[in-house]
Amino acid sequence: MKISKITNEEKARAFATMKKPEVMEKQKLPVRYHVEDYDPTDRPRRFLEAFAAILKHSNYRFALDHYIRISAKCSRCATQCQVLLATGDSHDVPCYRSELLLSVYRRHFTMAGLIRGRLTNDAGLTDEKISEMAESFYNCTACRRCVNECPAGIDHGLITHLARYILSEIGIAPRALVVSVREQLEGKTGNTSAIPVPALIDTLDFLEEDMKQEKGVDIKFPRDVVDCDYIFFPAVSDYLMEAESLMGIAAVFAATNDSWTIGTGYYDGINYGLFYSDRMLERIVKKVDRETRRLRAKNILIGECGHASRSAKYFIPTYCGGENAPPVLNIIEYTYRALQDGRIRLNPDVIVDRVAYHDPCNIARQSWIIEQPREILKSFCKNYVEMTPNRENNICCGGGGGTVSIDEIRPYRTLVGGKAKAEQIKAAGCRYLVAPCANCKKQLRELVEDQGIDCEVVGLHDLIYKAIVFD
Amino acid sequence: MESLLDFAGGPLFRLTFALMVLGLLRIFVLDLWGMFEAYRKAGDKKFPWSQTIRRTIVWLLPVKKIPNSRPFYSIISILFHLGMIIVPIFLYAHVHLWKNSLGVGWITLPQKTADTLTLMVMALGLALLLGRFFDKNAAFISRKQDFLWPVLILIPFITGYVCSNVALPPKTYRYFMLAHVLSAESIFVLIPFTKIAHMVLLPFSQFVSQLAWRFPPETDEAVCSTLGKKGAPV
Repeated sequence: MKISKITNEEKARAFATMKKPEVMEKQKLPVRYHVEDYDPTDRPRRFLEAFAAILKHSNYRFALDHYIRISAKCSRCATQCQVLLATGDSHDVPCYRSELLLSVYRRHFTMAGLIRGRLTNDAGLTDEKISEMAESFYNCTACRRCVNECPAGIDHGLITHLARYILSEIGIAPRALVVSVREQLEGKTGNTSAIPVPALIDTLDFLEEDMKQEKGVDIKFPRDVVDCDYIFFPAVSDYLMEAESLMGIAAVFAATNDSWTIGTGYYDGINYGLFYSDRMLERIVKKVDRETRRLRAKNILIGECGHASRSAKYFIPTYCGGENAPPVLNIIEYTYRALQDGRIRLNPDVIVDRVAYHDPCNIARQSWIIEQPREILKSFCKNYVEMTPNRENNICCGGGGGTVSIDEIRPYRTLVGGKAKAEQIKAAGCRYLVAPCANCKKQLRELVEDQGIDCEVVGLHDLIYKAIVFD
Repeated sequence: MESLLDFAGGPLFRLTFALMVLGLLRIFVLDLWGMFEAYRKAGDKKFPWSQTIRRTIVWLLPVKKIPNSRPFYSIISILFHLGMIIVPIFLYAHVHLWKNSLGVGWITLPQKTADTLTLMVMALGLALLLGRFFDKNAAFISRKQDFLWPVLILIPFITGYVCSNVALPPKTYRYFMLAHVLSAESIFVLIPFTKIAHMVLLPFSQFVSQLAWRFPPETDEAVCSTLGKKGAPV
């Protein structure tokens, strides 16, 4: 994949900061994203303490040991990173980024590093390096495309994940993510978009009326029904921004007649813990598990959201009982099965414009959900086209790893992170770009707007809603 | 000189070879133990065995991966690795030495093939070194050992080739042979402590990266407690 580098003028815009210089100086943090006030004194010592505590109670240590022994610095990853391809700056080589943290581990947590440090009078981790990590690990979108091309099998996404976790323990994390998680875990509404239950009920009632008018049948959003087959957790922002996706999902259930419900005790699939803190990740999936058990639902169904799906699929078993944890599936899997079983009918004459599919990294990279959405789309879209590269090797939308929620870095996301994706979309020439992920949708809409691309970004179930037929 | 060569080819060879084997065994066992421990502690025991085994096989002979990234470099690298592994193990002169000392021998390469492969390794090694110097990103991320390894690897190949193909005066021959043996022994000693450890660790890589995402349960409270953050707000 070859893309043109950004121009100097674009670079200036992408890397401009809206932060006040006095704030950056006070926080000792020359990064573009806002960070809540924290104690910037003695950062190296506190970083190492946090690193040690995390290593003590986690499984990261053996992987770091393996990575420092095996890393061959071949730079094959350099051709994969959409950020590096846009900036051309070697500081964005995934292996360089990972080395920022691996060098700290090698120096402070291995015998050889400690001895070498003593012999060479190397003071070790510095404030400057912490600032560099704070910048670098949030320039990465944690899309893990580089992982598939690393001959040594180093998971640079895992290292970004861990580095952000350690940084967050000393107070360095994007304010946008922290504020959302605080509302989700400690706020009155208990969800990241701060939607109170009455507002949720109003929205659902309103959508039901809309569907009755548009489709002429009663399509429901069941609430707090016990003993259902499925309990539904979309990215909660969908209730504000993705009405058509939600209506499409409700329409599929109306057609299949399976039992499903939304729990008013907790209804948010978003888990920003995946992006900056394992501790938050654990607390958030436990909320999903608690609501599932409260309503005695058999399966957890995640809406159109990549990171929400990955958080639930991989971490509900981790934190909520292993084999005894409730099974997790993504709505695309459910709809695909319904289509295969002939339980839903989609009119092939409704969507005649060109349609392309964007693979969200969090469901595609590990070959989890790849062909199902394609099969669904091909079944009723006459003019379906592929963007290349795709599937496990897809290009990130540019807003991955939680960066899409950081509004102050939008120019960076749409000029740098999303540049490769923008060129891909232009080449596809599609009218509809299907992106079954709340984060991707937001980023891609901003991307097509900022890059002047004439294309509508929609969810998979938005199109299904348009095409679904009831007897 | 004669006795130095005898010493290098005898006791020193045995020592350095043993250090390499033991060093590799150590990291092999540590890696394996790390994986077992991680799996034991993981909250989610489901593991994508077939996918991980498939990925491991693909990366052990990464022909399928050539077109994806830096294809020219990838082809050079694969051929370099093949030559570097095949020649020292199957060279007639080496097998003959093993047979004399251990009484065990195995199939050998025809001399002409071995010479061709040796020349190939030399040319490709040089190409890789130049690639590292002149590729902006590769040069930027390289450490000292990344530049030194191709040089160190080339020494035994060059000296070995000269010894078996050039009519040298006996004294010069012995110097070359000494350089050949000592450089190979330096490689043996350094292997377990440097990136060349991948010769035994590579089969584990895909398993390590899969397992590393399988976290232990209940770490929130434990980390909070260690950091004195119990009950602290988000």
